[in-house]
Amino acid sequence: MAGASVKVAVRVRPFNSREIGKESKCIIQMSGNTTTIINPKQAKDNKSFNFDYSYWSHTTPEDSNYASQMKVYKDIGEEMLLHAFEGYNVCIFAYGQTGAGKSYTMMGKQDVKDQQGIIPLLCEDIFVKISDNTDNSMSYSVEVSYMEIYCERVRDLLNPKNKGNLRVREHPLMGPYVEDLSKLAVTSYNDIQDLMDSGNKARTVAATNMNETSSRSHAVFNIIFTQKRHDADTDNTSEKVSKISLVDLAGSERADSTGAKGTRLKEGANINKSLTTLGKVISALAEVNKKKKKVESFIPYRDSVLTWLLRENLGGNSRTAMVAALSPADINYDETLSTLRYADRAKQIRCNAVINEDPNNRLVRELKDEVSRLKDLLYAQGLGDIIETYRATGADIEGLKYVSDCKNNNNKDQAVNQRGDLSTVTNAMTGMSPSPSLSALSSRAGSITSLHDRIMFSPGSEEAIERLKVNTG
Amino acid sequence: MAYKDADCRKTPKKKKKKKTNMASLSSDEWRAICDKFTNAQNLTDVESRNDPENDLFRSKYKARELLREIYCSLKSFEAGEGDEDGGAESSEQRAAEPPVDGQREDGFGEGFSGDSPAGLRAAKLGAVEYYLGVNHVDTEELSAGQEHLMNCMKQLGRCRVTSENVSLFIHVRNQLGILWAGRDETETAQGFLETAESIYQRYMKEDGSPPTDMTEYFTSEEKLPTHQERTKRFELAYTHTMYYLAQVYQNLGETERAATYCHTTLQRQLQLNQFSPMEWALNAATLSQYYITKGRYMEGRHCLSAATVISGLAGEAPSEAVAQESETESDRREQLRQKRAEIARCWIKYCLNVLQDSKKLLEDNIGELDTDRQEELKRARRQEEEDEEKGRKSALLFGSEDTFDSIASLEEKVCCLSPLDFTEARGVFLVGQNYVKQAKEYFQMDGYVTDHIEILQDHSALFRGLAFFEEDLERRCKMHKRRVDMLEPICNDLNAQYYLLIRRQLMFELAEIYNEMMDLKLTLANRQADTQSLDNHTIKKFNSLCSASAKYFQMFLDSLCSPEGKVPEHLEEEVLRPALVARFRVARLHSRLISPLLSAQLDNLNKSLENYKYVAEYCETHPEAAAAVETELELSKEMVGLLPLKINRLKAKMATNN
Repeated sequence: MAGASVKVAVRVRPFNSREIGKESKCIIQMSGNTTTIINPKQAKDNKSFNFDYSYWSHTTPEDSNYASQMKVYKDIGEEMLLHAFEGYNVCIFAYGQTGAGKSYTMMGKQDVKDQQGIIPLLCEDIFVKISDNTDNSMSYSVEVSYMEIYCERVRDLLNPKNKGNLRVREHPLMGPYVEDLSKLAVTSYNDIQDLMDSGNKARTVAATNMNETSSRSHAVFNIIFTQKRHDADTDNTSEKVSKISLVDLAGSERADSTGAKGTRLKEGANINKSLTTLGKVISALAEVNKKKKKVESFIPYRDSVLTWLLRENLGGNSRTAMVAALSPADINYDETLSTLRYADRAKQIRCNAVINEDPNNRLVRELKDEVSRLKDLLYAQGLGDIIETYRATGADIEGLKYVSDCKNNNNKDQAVNQRGDLSTVTNAMTGMSPSPSLSALSSRAGSITSLHDRIMFSPGSEEAIERLKVNTG
Repeated sequence: MAYKDADCRKTPKKKKKKKTNMASLSSDEWRAICDKFTNAQNLTDVESRNDPENDLFRSKYKARELLREIYCSLKSFEAGEGDEDGGAESSEQRAAEPPVDGQREDGFGEGFSGDSPAGLRAAKLGAVEYYLGVNHVDTEELSAGQEHLMNCMKQLGRCRVTSENVSLFIHVRNQLGILWAGRDETETAQGFLETAESIYQRYMKEDGSPPTDMTEYFTSEEKLPTHQERTKRFELAYTHTMYYLAQVYQNLGETERAATYCHTTLQRQLQLNQFSPMEWALNAATLSQYYITKGRYMEGRHCLSAATVISGLAGEAPSEAVAQESETESDRREQLRQKRAEIARCWIKYCLNVLQDSKKLLEDNIGELDTDRQEELKRARRQEEEDEEKGRKSALLFGSEDTFDSIASLEEKVCCLSPLDFTEARGVFLVGQNYVKQAKEYFQMDGYVTDHIEILQDHSALFRGLAFFEEDLERRCKMHKRRVDMLEPICNDLNAQYYLLIRRQLMFELAEIYNEMMDLKLTLANRQADTQSLDNHTIKKFNSLCSASAKYFQMFLDSLCSPEGKVPEHLEEEVLRPALVARFRVARLHSRLISPLLSAQLDNLNKSLENYKYVAEYCETHPEAAAAVETELELSKEMVGLLPLKINRLKAKMATNN
């Protein structure tokens, strides 16, 4: 089922100290896969959303409803890893307001047992699965890369010396790639952990230097996983490469690409103040129309790196999951609601690759003609009832046998052409030998299909002609 | 809780003679106020950008303090006067119901003249309230912000609109528009903004002199702006009104109006020379896509021509050699080339839609040119041309004196009316093809696979549009061959894992092109049948086109299977119809293959039956699918019933032959 839609999960965390300090109230409720948010200003105003998973991690593990790190991994991480072993590219996106728990879900606390997030658990699991393998013909290799996207610029986190802006590109054979991004081979989970640590440090260092925080950048950790099978008999090696992308999206409250401080992504009908966002407004206008009518249009990208990233993970043969992190506190109502809405939309995210079909009116007409010709033929033979029987029972062998038993004289005479009103039918049945001398065809048939039909309808039609002549003559 | 400001705005008649105003301020004190104001502006606009993440509003809070001090100073010098204009200090209340900014209260009625001492004083106090309001809104204290803005409205409510205060009249309504829109009270926002619009229009009609800028209230004389500067700031405020209205209308679902206001915003940016060329050009090109999808080609073409001309103002892209010298130059080169290529792509869509629309107008029920319709439309053409001329005169036009002619001459290069014959269609095609070439220069295969292919798909679609008008079937066939030549190698070479969705599109299109070519060959063969004999070559050609078409439909179907090659039990919504249609067409194609061998015929018919059966059975197990393929399903069911008849006859014949 290639092109499956995105799996979407939401997860709510406990209060943080700031929220406790402000005596926050919890505005998130979960029941089954449904998440409900309550408007703190109007208690009656609550909104519910259905997701593939709704994780209640607001309380402690003692709570029977509590969703642990392992539970989240089992549901999402394991399934994705399985797909990777099948040969699919997989991707897990984390989304949400800064401080809503994205990093906890994705990374967790490194050194605390039971606190590790999806990324370390998944990396660990890869090597467990590899070492579990007993098939000698199989060999595996794992490479990783780690990059950061900030304001349309891409940085290599595993090679911080590479300061320049890396370019995202697509190669016809190799697929999408980041130019000059370092790719390091790893042989154990510890290797991955070390690289991830150093990458995270590079991210933090850069953040301090440039007075920007990680909350405004996207981080992408890639695991390139290669499975090789060596066939001893033929000495052939076949290779299956899949890429696992773990994407920590920038805080949703910073989704405003202008980067203007204090401009937050609120729900509702906000007005963009600055004329620098005119392009966004116009794009949205053109987009509405594009969706409504199936008309071709081109809307220039405003976020090309992010577009590239999404395209990479949604445009190919890949499996994608998204985890949206939620703050439970009333003070974050606007942003949490916006996160929920985004996650709700994510369920429908698909890459925009519609199959544009030419209208097949001509084909339909031809086929309708053929159907009626075949039917006429049967009725003409007095077998109309058989069609009905046949259609009613699904397979009436009797009737068909009868048809095939009708062995009449082969008659290649074209006398039937005189019957103007039935000319298509008769043309169709003009006796033709299977190896036709095409020049002998009657050229009177106007329809494009007639030549063809004269050829194709020939087998076995001879026997009917005599009957037809008798009936109509 | 009644909203008291609403009443206040209705009390402009309370005229009080006031002799004094700021005269009681010493020049030193006045200077101090001016300095504070400059300081506050600087804190708000400049300093605040460097505020740390954990103290996001530090500078804005400082600015707020200064503004409060200014307010107090102004007030204290006015002690004993204007007792009804207080309220800023006591304003902790929130609006219970939104005030509506009605048209009747647009400030042109009675009240203090803007240049009277009382009027000036009201304007100054109003301006401080305004800045305090904006400050509170910026720091996410919306209720307090609203209170201050409404206090400003109240001050203005006592005045008539004149050049001294009109700018504030507009600004405060812009801010209130933003505020209410943020609360999902779009209609309230609309009220404020539309009033701002009408105040501007009336002012420009009745006065029109360069109005005082709000900052001037607190600027020492030597620093006063020029007339030109005043006009610029005032017009910019109104441009924002237009922009905000565009968004309000969009939020109200009035896209047509929203587009008009976006258009106006762009036009004003150009007129007032307040734009950056590339950004403006890209926005205009994007707006063209709105018009194109609406079928409004004249507007679309105008936006595109303006986009091309204005993008030229950004200068030449640095050469590759220069770009290698520095990152800035390399970025600039990249940006300019990319955006120009994107504008070219917008043009391609224009040409494509013009061709496709015209095809829709002219085709009969099997997709051929309807000559009666063509004649009819040609007769109606004169009227259309006149309408175009009229429309052009009344439309909102872009351009300044120096760009106007270039824009117009670019427009003349391609028609905006539906082409009605081959010559006209070819004109549109050639323009489109030229933009294809331009776009491909930047979006090359190596590096921009997806974009490059999208452009090729457009090129192919341009050919398809042109082929419709071509009467010579041989030449028409050659056009389709061109399409095959540009798409086929790519489809076969692309990485199947990463470009799955693109490849699916290509497979489907190739299947359709081969099918079309097959039909054309057949028509040609039929025409010839009269005089010359059809040779084996023609049959072979026919068969090879037929197989190629079936092959690509089959490839498309195979791409839906799991990596192990398992046919999906459930078809995802976006491939449901294409998959069933592909089955249906494969079925048809197999039944059309010509073979002298009875066994091969049998084979083909069986394959055909199998695919018809799949369509019928899938819709039986997934009843919800039936709606997507109504006609195809009906025919498939028929064929499932009828084909066994042919098959059995063939079998019987084979039996006899043996």
